[in-house]
Amino acid sequence: MSIHVQHLQKNFQVHVRNAGWIDALRSLFHREYRTVEAVKDISFQIESGEIVGFLGPNGAGKTTTIKMLAGLLYPTAGQILVEGFVPFEQKVEFKKMMSLVMGQKSQLIWDIPPMETFLVNKAVYEIEERAFQRTLEELVELLELQPLLGKPTRSLSLGQRMKCELAATLLHQPKVLFLDEPTIGLDVHTQEKVRQFIAKYNREHNTTILLTSHYMGDVTALCQRVMIINHGQLLYDGDLQILSEKLTPYKLIEVRLPEVPSVSWEKYGELVGVDEGKVSLRVARERVTDVSARLLHDFSVADLNIQDPPMEEVITLAFQEEVHAS
Amino acid sequence: MLHKYAVLLRMKWVEMFEYRLASLVWVFGAMTQPLITMLVWMNIDREASATFILYFASLIVVERLTTAWDVWELDREIREGSFSYYIVRPFAHVHWAIAENLVYKLVFFVILAPVWLVAAIFVPALRLKLDWGQLALFVFALLIASAIRFLFSYSFGLLGFWVTKVTAIYGMLEAISLFFSGRIAPLSFLPPVIQQLSFYLPFRYMVGFPVELLTGDVHGTAGDGFLLAIFWMLCFLALTFALWKRGLKKNQAVGG
Repeated sequence: MSIHVQHLQKNFQVHVRNAGWIDALRSLFHREYRTVEAVKDISFQIESGEIVGFLGPNGAGKTTTIKMLAGLLYPTAGQILVEGFVPFEQKVEFKKMMSLVMGQKSQLIWDIPPMETFLVNKAVYEIEERAFQRTLEELVELLELQPLLGKPTRSLSLGQRMKCELAATLLHQPKVLFLDEPTIGLDVHTQEKVRQFIAKYNREHNTTILLTSHYMGDVTALCQRVMIINHGQLLYDGDLQILSEKLTPYKLIEVRLPEVPSVSWEKYGELVGVDEGKVSLRVARERVTDVSARLLHDFSVADLNIQDPPMEEVITLAFQEEVHAS
Repeated sequence: MLHKYAVLLRMKWVEMFEYRLASLVWVFGAMTQPLITMLVWMNIDREASATFILYFASLIVVERLTTAWDVWELDREIREGSFSYYIVRPFAHVHWAIAENLVYKLVFFVILAPVWLVAAIFVPALRLKLDWGQLALFVFALLIASAIRFLFSYSFGLLGFWVTKVTAIYGMLEAISLFFSGRIAPLSFLPPVIQQLSFYLPFRYMVGFPVELLTGDVHGTAGDGFLLAIFWMLCFLALTFALWKRGLKKNQAVGG
Protein backbone atom coordinates (compact mmCIF):
# COMPACT_ATOMS: atom_id res chain seq x y z
CA MET A 1 0.00 0.00 0.00
CA SER A 2 1.44 3.32 -0.99
CA ILE A 3 -1.17 5.84 0.11
CA HIS A 4 -3.74 5.31 2.78
CA VAL A 5 -6.29 8.03 3.57
CA GLN A 6 -9.07 7.74 6.11
CA HIS A 7 -11.83 10.19 6.97
CA LEU A 8 -9.75 13.12 5.84
CA GLN A 9 -11.14 16.58 6.53
CA LYS A 10 -9.95 20.11 6.04
CA ASN A 11 -11.73 23.26 7.12
CA PHE A 12 -10.61 26.79 6.35
CA GLN A 13 -11.56 29.91 8.22
CA VAL A 14 -12.44 32.49 5.63
CA HIS A 15 -12.90 36.13 6.35
CA VAL A 16 -16.22 37.25 4.88
CA ARG A 17 -16.74 40.79 3.70
CA ASN A 18 -19.08 42.39 1.26
CA ALA A 19 -17.76 44.60 -1.50
CA GLY A 20 -17.77 48.35 -1.07
CA TRP A 21 -16.18 51.11 0.98
CA ILE A 22 -18.39 50.94 4.04
CA ASP A 23 -18.01 47.20 4.45
CA ALA A 24 -14.28 47.41 3.94
CA LEU A 25 -14.09 49.95 6.76
CA ARG A 26 -16.40 47.93 8.97
CA SER A 27 -14.22 44.85 8.51
CA LEU A 28 -11.34 46.76 10.08
CA PHE A 29 -13.10 46.66 13.43
CA HIS A 30 -15.32 43.68 13.22
CA ARG A 31 -14.28 40.62 11.29
CA GLU A 32 -16.65 37.86 10.50
CA TYR A 33 -15.36 34.42 9.71
CA ARG A 34 -17.01 31.57 7.99
CA THR A 35 -15.85 27.97 8.06
CA VAL A 36 -15.41 26.46 4.63
CA GLU A 37 -15.31 22.70 4.53
CA ALA A 38 -12.91 22.21 1.65
CA VAL A 39 -12.59 18.46 2.21
CA LYS A 40 -15.42 16.82 4.13
CA ASP A 41 -14.75 13.16 4.68
CA ILE A 42 -12.57 11.37 2.19
CA SER A 43 -11.15 7.87 2.37
CA PHE A 44 -9.20 5.97 -0.27
CA GLN A 45 -6.18 3.78 -0.82
CA ILE A 46 -3.66 3.72 -3.61
CA GLU A 47 -1.38 0.79 -4.35
CA SER A 48 2.30 1.17 -5.20
CA GLY A 49 2.87 1.92 -8.86
CA GLU A 50 -0.72 2.95 -9.55
CA ILE A 51 -1.60 6.10 -11.52
CA VAL A 52 -4.83 7.58 -10.26
CA GLY A 53 -6.63 10.53 -11.80
CA PHE A 54 -8.19 12.96 -9.39
CA LEU A 55 -11.03 14.82 -11.05
CA GLY A 56 -13.39 17.54 -10.00
CA PRO A 57 -14.49 21.03 -10.95
CA ASN A 58 -12.67 24.11 -9.65
CA GLY A 59 -12.90 24.39 -5.86
CA ALA A 60 -13.93 20.74 -5.44
CA GLY A 61 -11.14 19.98 -2.96
CA LYS A 62 -8.61 18.24 -5.23
CA THR A 63 -5.69 20.56 -4.62
CA THR A 64 -6.44 20.79 -0.89
CA THR A 65 -6.30 16.99 -0.67
CA ILE A 66 -3.05 16.81 -2.62
CA LYS A 67 -1.52 19.49 -0.43
CA MET A 68 -2.42 17.51 2.67
CA LEU A 69 -0.89 14.39 1.15
CA ALA A 70 2.31 16.31 0.43
CA GLY A 71 2.49 17.67 3.99
CA LEU A 72 1.80 21.29 3.05
CA LEU A 73 -1.50 21.54 4.85
CA TYR A 74 -2.39 20.37 8.31
CA PRO A 75 -5.53 18.21 8.18
CA THR A 76 -8.45 19.22 10.39
CA ALA A 77 -9.26 15.55 11.00
CA GLY A 78 -8.53 12.12 9.65
CA GLN A 79 -5.45 10.03 8.94
CA ILE A 80 -2.99 10.04 6.08
CA LEU A 81 -0.17 7.61 5.54
CA VAL A 82 2.09 7.96 2.53
CA GLU A 83 4.58 5.09 2.29
CA GLY A 84 4.16 4.71 6.03
CA PHE A 85 4.81 8.38 6.83
CA VAL A 86 2.43 10.93 8.29
CA PRO A 87 3.04 13.81 5.85
CA PHE A 88 2.58 16.73 8.20
CA GLU A 89 5.27 15.44 10.55
CA GLN A 90 7.64 16.84 7.92
CA LYS A 91 10.18 14.05 8.26
CA VAL A 92 13.20 14.40 6.01
CA GLU A 93 12.85 10.74 4.94
CA PHE A 94 9.29 11.45 3.80
CA LYS A 95 10.31 14.47 1.77
CA LYS A 96 13.10 12.50 0.14
CA MET A 97 10.78 9.86 -1.24
CA MET A 98 7.99 12.06 -2.59
CA SER A 99 7.61 14.95 -4.96
CA LEU A 100 5.02 17.54 -5.80
CA VAL A 101 4.52 19.39 -9.07
CA MET A 102 2.12 22.29 -9.10
CA GLY A 103 1.36 23.38 -12.64
CA GLN A 104 0.79 26.95 -11.60
CA LYS A 105 3.84 27.32 -9.40
CA SER A 106 7.50 26.91 -10.11
CA GLN A 107 10.33 25.57 -8.02
CA LEU A 108 12.91 26.55 -10.62
CA ILE A 109 14.99 29.53 -9.65
CA TRP A 110 13.63 32.23 -11.89
CA ASP A 111 16.64 34.22 -13.05
CA ILE A 112 19.24 31.52 -13.54
CA PRO A 113 19.33 28.40 -15.72
CA PRO A 114 17.40 25.23 -14.67
CA MET A 115 20.68 23.39 -14.23
CA GLU A 116 21.31 25.50 -11.11
CA THR A 117 18.05 24.28 -9.58
CA PHE A 118 19.02 20.70 -10.45
CA LEU A 119 22.35 21.13 -8.67
CA VAL A 120 20.65 22.63 -5.62
CA ASN A 121 18.21 19.72 -5.52
CA LYS A 122 21.09 17.28 -5.86
CA ALA A 123 22.55 18.77 -2.69
CA VAL A 124 19.38 19.16 -0.62
CA TYR A 125 18.12 15.67 -1.48
CA GLU A 126 21.63 14.28 -0.94
CA ILE A 127 21.72 12.52 -4.30
CA GLU A 128 24.97 10.71 -5.00
CA GLU A 129 27.00 11.96 -7.93
CA ARG A 130 26.65 8.80 -10.02
CA ALA A 131 22.95 8.40 -9.40
CA PHE A 132 22.46 12.08 -10.19
CA GLN A 133 24.33 11.85 -13.48
CA ARG A 134 22.43 8.75 -14.48
CA THR A 135 18.99 10.18 -13.65
CA LEU A 136 19.82 13.51 -15.21
CA GLU A 137 20.93 11.84 -18.43
CA GLU A 138 17.74 9.82 -18.54
CA LEU A 139 15.55 12.85 -17.91
CA VAL A 140 17.42 15.05 -20.37
CA GLU A 141 16.92 12.42 -23.04
CA LEU A 142 13.28 11.64 -22.29
CA LEU A 143 12.25 15.26 -21.98
CA GLU A 144 14.65 16.65 -24.61
CA LEU A 145 16.12 19.15 -22.20
CA GLN A 146 19.64 19.54 -23.56
CA PRO A 147 19.13 22.92 -25.28
CA LEU A 148 17.30 24.33 -22.25
CA LEU A 149 19.76 23.56 -19.48
CA GLY A 150 21.83 26.70 -19.86
CA LYS A 151 19.10 29.26 -20.51
CA PRO A 152 17.74 31.41 -17.69
CA THR A 153 14.43 29.94 -16.52
CA ARG A 154 12.59 33.20 -17.13
CA SER A 155 13.34 32.99 -20.85
CA LEU A 156 11.85 29.50 -21.27
CA SER A 157 8.40 28.96 -22.71
CA LEU A 158 5.69 27.52 -20.47
CA GLY A 159 6.08 24.05 -21.99
CA GLN A 160 9.87 24.09 -21.72
CA ARG A 161 9.59 25.22 -18.14
CA MET A 162 7.17 22.46 -17.22
CA LYS A 163 9.56 19.88 -18.66
CA CYS A 164 12.38 21.28 -16.53
CA GLU A 165 10.00 21.40 -13.59
CA LEU A 166 9.30 17.68 -13.98
CA ALA A 167 12.99 16.93 -14.22
CA ALA A 168 13.71 18.93 -11.05
CA THR A 169 11.10 16.99 -9.10
CA LEU A 170 12.23 13.58 -10.33
CA LEU A 171 15.99 13.87 -9.80
CA HIS A 172 15.78 12.17 -6.42
CA GLN A 173 13.63 9.38 -7.90
CA PRO A 174 10.60 9.73 -5.65
CA LYS A 175 8.43 6.71 -4.94
CA VAL A 176 5.33 8.88 -4.81
CA LEU A 177 4.56 11.72 -7.16
CA PHE A 178 1.77 14.27 -6.78
CA LEU A 179 1.01 16.08 -10.01
CA ASP A 180 -1.37 19.00 -9.65
CA GLU A 181 -2.41 20.09 -13.12
CA PRO A 182 0.96 19.42 -14.76
CA THR A 183 -0.28 20.22 -18.26
CA ILE A 184 -2.13 23.43 -17.52
CA GLY A 185 -1.62 26.06 -20.20
CA LEU A 186 0.46 23.78 -22.46
CA ASP A 187 -0.23 23.37 -26.16
CA VAL A 188 -1.63 20.07 -27.42
CA HIS A 189 1.71 18.80 -28.68
CA THR A 190 3.52 19.51 -25.42
CA GLN A 191 0.64 18.05 -23.40
CA GLU A 192 1.02 14.85 -25.37
CA LYS A 193 4.79 14.81 -24.75
CA VAL A 194 4.34 15.33 -21.03
CA ARG A 195 1.71 12.57 -20.89
CA GLN A 196 3.93 10.12 -22.73
CA PHE A 197 6.73 10.97 -20.38
CA ILE A 198 4.63 10.42 -17.27
CA ALA A 199 3.33 7.09 -18.59
CA LYS A 200 6.82 5.88 -19.48
CA TYR A 201 8.28 7.07 -16.21
CA ASN A 202 5.58 5.28 -14.24
CA ARG A 203 6.16 2.04 -16.17
CA GLU A 204 9.91 2.09 -15.75
CA HIS A 205 10.14 3.24 -12.16
CA ASN A 206 6.89 1.90 -10.72
CA THR A 207 6.21 5.33 -9.19
CA THR A 208 2.86 5.87 -7.50
CA ILE A 209 1.23 8.87 -9.17
CA LEU A 210 -1.77 10.91 -8.15
CA LEU A 211 -2.72 13.33 -10.88
CA THR A 212 -5.22 16.15 -11.08
CA SER A 213 -6.05 17.74 -14.36
CA HIS A 214 -8.72 19.68 -16.16
CA TYR A 215 -7.81 18.02 -19.42
CA MET A 216 -9.66 14.76 -19.97
CA GLY A 217 -6.91 13.78 -22.37
CA ASP A 218 -4.46 13.51 -19.47
CA VAL A 219 -6.77 11.26 -17.54
CA THR A 220 -7.87 8.99 -20.36
CA ALA A 221 -4.29 8.58 -21.55
CA LEU A 222 -2.79 7.88 -18.15
CA CYS A 223 -5.28 6.63 -15.63
CA GLN A 224 -7.28 3.46 -15.42
CA ARG A 225 -8.67 4.47 -12.10
CA VAL A 226 -10.23 7.82 -11.33
CA MET A 227 -11.51 9.46 -8.19
CA ILE A 228 -14.15 12.09 -8.66
CA ILE A 229 -14.54 14.71 -6.01
CA ASN A 230 -17.01 17.55 -5.67
CA HIS A 231 -17.93 19.79 -2.75
CA GLY A 232 -15.21 18.08 -0.72
CA GLN A 233 -16.70 14.62 -1.09
CA LEU A 234 -15.62 11.61 -3.06
CA LEU A 235 -18.36 10.81 -5.58
CA TYR A 236 -16.71 7.97 -7.42
CA ASP A 237 -13.61 5.86 -7.04
CA GLY A 238 -13.03 3.18 -9.59
CA ASP A 239 -12.41 2.20 -13.17
CA LEU A 240 -12.79 4.95 -15.74
CA GLN A 241 -14.34 2.61 -18.31
CA ILE A 242 -16.94 1.33 -15.88
CA LEU A 243 -17.84 4.88 -14.95
CA SER A 244 -18.33 5.70 -18.57
CA GLU A 245 -20.58 2.69 -19.10
CA LYS A 246 -22.55 3.50 -16.02
CA LEU A 247 -23.21 7.13 -16.74
CA THR A 248 -23.53 6.99 -20.49
CA PRO A 249 -25.19 3.65 -21.25
CA TYR A 250 -24.97 4.23 -25.00
CA LYS A 251 -22.47 4.55 -27.83
CA LEU A 252 -22.40 6.71 -30.90
CA ILE A 253 -22.69 5.02 -34.28
CA GLU A 254 -21.65 7.02 -37.29
CA VAL A 255 -22.70 5.64 -40.71
CA ARG A 256 -21.36 6.99 -43.99
CA LEU A 257 -23.59 6.41 -46.98
CA PRO A 258 -23.21 7.40 -50.66
CA GLU A 259 -26.67 8.93 -50.40
CA VAL A 260 -28.73 9.40 -47.27
CA PRO A 261 -32.17 7.82 -47.80
CA SER A 262 -35.18 9.38 -46.10
CA VAL A 263 -36.15 6.60 -43.72
CA SER A 264 -37.24 6.61 -40.13
CA TRP A 265 -33.90 6.34 -38.29
CA GLU A 266 -35.63 6.09 -34.93
CA LYS A 267 -35.99 2.35 -35.22
CA TYR A 268 -32.19 2.04 -35.19
CA GLY A 269 -31.50 4.51 -32.40
CA GLU A 270 -31.82 8.10 -31.28
CA LEU A 271 -30.94 10.37 -34.18
CA VAL A 272 -28.17 12.82 -33.23
CA GLY A 273 -27.70 14.39 -36.65
CA VAL A 274 -27.81 13.94 -40.39
CA ASP A 275 -25.05 15.50 -42.41
CA GLU A 276 -24.08 15.23 -46.05
CA GLY A 277 -23.61 11.49 -46.48
CA LYS A 278 -23.34 10.92 -42.72
CA VAL A 279 -25.84 9.83 -40.07
CA SER A 280 -25.08 9.85 -36.33
CA LEU A 281 -27.09 7.69 -33.98
CA ARG A 282 -27.09 7.23 -30.21
CA VAL A 283 -27.61 3.55 -29.42
CA ALA A 284 -27.90 1.69 -26.10
CA ARG A 285 -24.72 -0.23 -25.40
CA GLU A 286 -26.37 -3.67 -25.42
CA ARG A 287 -27.95 -3.01 -28.83
CA VAL A 288 -24.83 -1.74 -30.59
CA THR A 289 -23.81 -5.04 -32.24
CA ASP A 290 -27.33 -5.73 -33.30
CA VAL A 291 -27.98 -2.27 -34.74
CA SER A 292 -24.65 -2.23 -36.57
CA ALA A 293 -25.46 -5.52 -38.25
CA ARG A 294 -28.89 -4.26 -39.29
CA LEU A 295 -27.48 -1.04 -40.68
CA LEU A 296 -24.95 -2.98 -42.73
CA HIS A 297 -27.72 -5.21 -43.97
CA ASP A 298 -30.28 -2.49 -44.78
CA PHE A 299 -28.01 -0.01 -46.54
CA SER A 300 -24.95 0.00 -48.72
CA VAL A 301 -22.74 1.43 -46.03
CA ALA A 302 -19.45 3.07 -47.07
CA ASP A 303 -18.12 3.29 -43.52
CA LEU A 304 -19.35 2.56 -40.02
CA ASN A 305 -17.79 3.91 -36.89
CA ILE A 306 -18.67 3.07 -33.26
CA GLN A 307 -17.53 5.46 -30.56
CA ASP A 308 -17.75 5.85 -26.82
CA PRO A 309 -19.35 9.13 -25.83
CA PRO A 310 -16.76 11.83 -25.19
CA MET A 311 -15.20 11.56 -21.74
CA GLU A 312 -16.00 15.22 -21.01
CA GLU A 313 -19.67 14.31 -21.18
CA VAL A 314 -19.16 11.41 -18.77
CA ILE A 315 -17.35 13.58 -16.30
CA THR A 316 -19.85 16.40 -16.49
CA LEU A 317 -22.55 13.87 -15.68
CA ALA A 318 -20.46 12.45 -12.86
CA PHE A 319 -20.06 15.88 -11.28
CA GLN A 320 -23.81 16.28 -11.28
CA GLU A 321 -24.87 12.85 -10.15
CA GLU A 322 -23.74 11.00 -7.14
CA VAL A 323 -22.40 7.71 -8.41
CA HIS A 324 -20.80 5.14 -6.22
CA ALA A 325 -18.13 2.72 -7.13
CA SER A 326 -19.35 -0.75 -7.77
CA MET B 1 25.20 20.26 5.93
CA LEU B 2 28.34 22.13 4.89
CA HIS B 3 28.07 20.72 1.40
CA LYS B 4 24.44 21.87 1.14
CA TYR B 5 25.48 25.34 2.24
CA ALA B 6 28.33 25.40 -0.24
CA VAL B 7 25.90 24.59 -3.05
CA LEU B 8 23.34 27.16 -1.90
CA LEU B 9 26.03 29.82 -1.56
CA ARG B 10 27.26 29.12 -5.06
CA MET B 11 23.72 29.32 -6.43
CA LYS B 12 23.01 32.59 -4.63
CA TRP B 13 26.31 33.91 -5.95
CA VAL B 14 25.33 33.05 -9.53
CA GLU B 15 21.91 34.57 -8.94
CA MET B 16 23.39 37.77 -7.56
CA PHE B 17 25.45 38.29 -10.67
CA GLU B 18 22.22 38.26 -12.61
CA TYR B 19 21.29 41.35 -10.60
CA ARG B 20 24.61 43.21 -10.92
CA LEU B 21 23.10 46.65 -11.16
CA ALA B 22 20.60 46.11 -8.36
CA SER B 23 23.38 44.79 -6.12
CA LEU B 24 25.40 47.97 -6.65
CA VAL B 25 22.36 50.08 -5.90
CA TRP B 26 21.86 48.12 -2.68
CA VAL B 27 25.42 48.97 -1.63
CA PHE B 28 25.63 52.59 -2.68
CA GLY B 29 21.98 53.59 -2.54
CA ALA B 30 21.86 52.70 1.13
CA MET B 31 24.62 55.23 1.81
CA THR B 32 22.48 58.21 0.87
CA GLN B 33 20.46 58.55 4.04
CA PRO B 34 23.40 58.23 6.50
CA LEU B 35 25.51 60.60 4.37
CA ILE B 36 22.81 63.28 4.38
CA THR B 37 22.27 62.84 8.12
CA MET B 38 26.01 63.16 8.60
CA LEU B 39 26.14 66.42 6.62
CA VAL B 40 23.27 67.83 8.68
CA TRP B 41 25.06 67.01 11.95
CA MET B 42 28.37 68.36 10.66
CA ASN B 43 26.60 71.58 9.83
CA ILE B 44 25.07 71.79 13.30
CA ASP B 45 28.31 71.13 15.13
CA ARG B 46 31.32 71.92 12.96
CA GLU B 47 33.80 71.30 15.79
CA ALA B 48 32.82 67.63 15.97
CA SER B 49 33.02 66.96 12.21
CA ALA B 50 35.66 64.27 12.58
CA THR B 51 33.52 62.40 15.13
CA PHE B 52 30.52 62.47 12.82
CA ILE B 53 32.52 61.32 9.81
CA LEU B 54 33.84 58.30 11.70
CA TYR B 55 30.45 57.57 13.25
CA PHE B 56 28.46 57.67 10.03
CA ALA B 57 31.08 55.86 7.97
CA SER B 58 30.99 53.08 10.57
CA LEU B 59 27.23 53.21 10.49
CA ILE B 60 27.14 52.70 6.72
CA VAL B 61 29.40 49.66 6.97
CA VAL B 62 27.60 48.13 9.95
CA GLU B 63 24.18 48.87 8.50
CA ARG B 64 25.02 47.11 5.21
CA LEU B 65 26.65 44.14 6.92
CA THR B 66 23.69 43.58 9.24
CA THR B 67 20.78 44.50 6.98
CA ALA B 68 18.07 41.87 6.44
CA TRP B 69 15.36 41.86 3.80
CA ASP B 70 13.84 38.49 4.64
CA VAL B 71 10.52 39.92 5.75
CA TRP B 72 9.88 41.16 2.21
CA GLU B 73 10.85 37.86 0.65
CA LEU B 74 8.80 35.77 3.08
CA ASP B 75 5.81 38.05 2.79
CA ARG B 76 5.83 37.61 -0.98
CA GLU B 77 6.58 33.89 -0.96
CA ILE B 78 3.85 33.09 1.55
CA ARG B 79 1.26 35.36 -0.07
CA GLU B 80 1.95 34.05 -3.57
CA GLY B 81 2.27 30.44 -2.49
CA SER B 82 5.78 29.81 -3.84
CA PHE B 83 6.77 29.06 -0.24
CA SER B 84 5.23 25.60 -0.72
CA TYR B 85 8.22 24.35 -2.69
CA TYR B 86 10.48 25.09 0.26
CA ILE B 87 8.25 23.13 2.61
CA VAL B 88 8.19 20.00 0.48
CA ARG B 89 11.96 19.92 0.04
CA PRO B 90 14.10 18.34 2.76
CA PHE B 91 16.09 21.47 3.70
CA ALA B 92 14.33 24.15 5.72
CA HIS B 93 13.65 27.52 4.12
CA VAL B 94 15.68 29.34 6.74
CA HIS B 95 18.90 27.83 5.36
CA TRP B 96 18.22 29.31 1.95
CA ALA B 97 17.69 32.67 3.60
CA ILE B 98 20.90 32.40 5.64
CA ALA B 99 22.88 31.46 2.52
CA GLU B 100 21.51 34.48 0.68
CA ASN B 101 22.38 36.77 3.57
CA LEU B 102 25.93 35.42 3.72
CA VAL B 103 26.55 35.94 0.01
CA TYR B 104 25.22 39.47 -0.15
CA LYS B 105 26.98 40.55 3.03
CA LEU B 106 30.25 39.10 1.81
CA VAL B 107 29.90 41.13 -1.36
CA PHE B 108 28.99 44.27 0.57
CA PHE B 109 32.13 43.75 2.65
CA VAL B 110 34.34 43.17 -0.37
CA ILE B 111 33.12 46.43 -1.88
CA LEU B 112 33.02 48.57 1.26
CA ALA B 113 36.33 47.57 2.88
CA PRO B 114 38.56 48.87 0.05
CA VAL B 115 36.43 52.01 -0.24
CA TRP B 116 37.08 52.68 3.47
CA LEU B 117 40.82 51.99 3.12
CA VAL B 118 41.21 54.36 0.19
CA ALA B 119 39.08 57.02 1.88
CA ALA B 120 41.22 56.73 5.02
CA ILE B 121 44.24 57.94 3.03
CA PHE B 122 42.49 61.25 2.41
CA VAL B 123 40.31 61.55 5.51
CA PRO B 124 42.30 61.23 8.74
CA ALA B 125 39.09 60.74 10.76
CA LEU B 126 38.67 57.31 9.16
CA ARG B 127 42.00 55.97 10.46
CA LEU B 128 40.95 53.51 13.15
CA LYS B 129 42.77 53.42 16.46
CA LEU B 130 41.69 49.98 17.61
CA ASP B 131 43.86 47.21 18.97
CA TRP B 132 43.24 43.60 17.94
CA GLY B 133 41.16 42.88 21.03
CA GLN B 134 38.82 45.79 20.33
CA LEU B 135 38.58 44.76 16.71
CA ALA B 136 37.66 41.23 17.75
CA LEU B 137 34.95 42.58 20.06
CA PHE B 138 33.60 44.68 17.19
CA VAL B 139 33.47 41.66 14.87
CA PHE B 140 31.72 39.63 17.57
CA ALA B 141 29.14 42.39 18.12
CA LEU B 142 28.68 42.70 14.37
CA LEU B 143 27.94 38.98 14.04
CA ILE B 144 25.39 39.12 16.86
CA ALA B 145 23.86 42.27 15.33
CA SER B 146 23.37 40.62 11.98
CA ALA B 147 21.92 37.54 13.66
CA ILE B 148 19.42 39.71 15.59
CA ARG B 149 18.42 41.69 12.54
CA PHE B 150 18.07 38.54 10.47
CA LEU B 151 15.97 36.74 13.07
CA PHE B 152 13.87 39.84 13.67
CA SER B 153 13.15 40.19 9.98
CA TYR B 154 12.63 36.45 9.48
CA SER B 155 10.29 35.99 12.42
CA PHE B 156 8.33 39.00 11.27
CA GLY B 157 8.08 37.46 7.84
CA LEU B 158 6.69 34.26 9.36
CA LEU B 159 3.79 36.32 10.69
CA GLY B 160 2.75 36.27 7.05
CA PHE B 161 1.09 32.94 7.85
CA TRP B 162 -1.44 34.88 9.93
CA VAL B 163 -1.48 38.37 8.47
CA THR B 164 -1.28 39.43 4.86
CA LYS B 165 1.17 42.25 4.12
CA VAL B 166 3.15 42.17 7.36
CA THR B 167 5.64 44.45 5.67
CA ALA B 168 3.48 47.46 6.53
CA ILE B 169 3.89 46.84 10.26
CA TYR B 170 7.55 46.05 9.76
CA GLY B 171 8.07 49.34 7.93
CA MET B 172 6.64 51.20 10.88
CA LEU B 173 8.97 49.45 13.32
CA GLU B 174 11.92 50.17 11.05
CA ALA B 175 11.03 53.86 11.20
CA ILE B 176 10.87 53.79 15.02
CA SER B 177 14.12 51.88 15.13
CA LEU B 178 15.87 54.68 13.22
CA PHE B 179 16.09 56.54 16.54
CA PHE B 180 16.71 53.66 18.91
CA SER B 181 19.29 51.96 16.73
CA GLY B 182 21.49 55.03 16.45
CA ARG B 183 20.92 55.55 12.77
CA ILE B 184 19.72 59.15 13.09
CA ALA B 185 22.44 60.22 15.50
CA PRO B 186 24.93 58.76 17.97
CA LEU B 187 22.99 57.73 21.07
CA SER B 188 24.86 60.24 23.23
CA PHE B 189 23.21 63.03 21.18
CA LEU B 190 19.69 61.84 21.88
CA PRO B 191 17.46 62.77 24.85
CA PRO B 192 18.20 60.77 28.04
CA VAL B 193 14.84 58.95 27.87
CA ILE B 194 15.61 57.57 24.44
CA GLN B 195 19.11 56.65 25.57
CA GLN B 196 17.66 54.72 28.51
CA LEU B 197 15.06 52.99 26.41
CA SER B 198 17.46 52.11 23.64
CA PHE B 199 19.70 50.42 26.16
CA TYR B 200 17.00 47.81 26.82
CA LEU B 201 15.29 47.62 23.41
CA PRO B 202 16.72 45.31 20.74
CA PHE B 203 17.34 48.02 18.11
CA ARG B 204 20.63 49.33 19.48
CA TYR B 205 22.08 45.82 19.27
CA MET B 206 21.14 45.61 15.60
CA VAL B 207 23.30 48.56 14.52
CA GLY B 208 24.32 51.07 17.18
CA PHE B 209 26.29 48.80 19.50
CA PRO B 210 28.83 47.54 16.94
CA VAL B 211 29.20 51.11 15.64
CA GLU B 212 29.99 52.29 19.17
CA LEU B 213 32.62 49.56 19.49
CA LEU B 214 34.19 50.51 16.17
CA THR B 215 34.30 54.22 16.97
CA GLY B 216 35.52 53.53 20.50
CA ASP B 217 32.66 55.45 22.11
CA VAL B 218 30.64 52.79 23.95
CA HIS B 219 27.56 53.85 25.82
CA GLY B 220 27.67 52.09 29.21
CA THR B 221 29.97 49.07 29.47
CA ALA B 222 30.71 46.72 26.59
CA GLY B 223 29.95 43.74 28.89
CA ASP B 224 26.39 44.91 29.53
CA GLY B 225 25.97 45.55 25.83
CA PHE B 226 27.03 42.02 24.94
CA LEU B 227 24.74 40.52 27.57
CA LEU B 228 21.72 42.35 26.22
CA ALA B 229 22.70 41.66 22.62
CA ILE B 230 22.95 37.92 23.29
CA PHE B 231 19.71 38.04 25.27
CA TRP B 232 17.84 39.58 22.33
CA MET B 233 19.44 37.21 19.86
CA LEU B 234 18.21 34.22 21.87
CA CYS B 235 14.74 35.77 22.22
CA PHE B 236 14.36 36.18 18.48
CA LEU B 237 15.80 32.73 17.88
CA ALA B 238 13.15 31.21 20.15
CA LEU B 239 10.47 33.34 18.53
CA THR B 240 11.52 32.21 15.05
CA PHE B 241 11.31 28.55 16.05
CA ALA B 242 7.92 29.00 17.72
CA LEU B 243 6.45 30.92 14.78
CA TRP B 244 7.80 28.38 12.30
CA LYS B 245 6.16 25.48 14.12
CA ARG B 246 2.82 27.21 14.56
CA GLY B 247 2.93 28.90 11.17
CA LEU B 248 3.21 25.62 9.30
CA LYS B 249 -0.02 24.45 10.91
CA LYS B 250 -1.67 27.70 9.99
CA ASN B 251 -0.27 27.65 6.47
CA GLN B 252 -2.92 27.74 3.80
CA ALA B 253 -0.46 26.98 0.98
CA VAL B 254 -2.37 29.42 -1.19
CA GLY B 255 -2.64 29.20 -4.93
CA GLY B 256 -2.01 26.46 -7.42
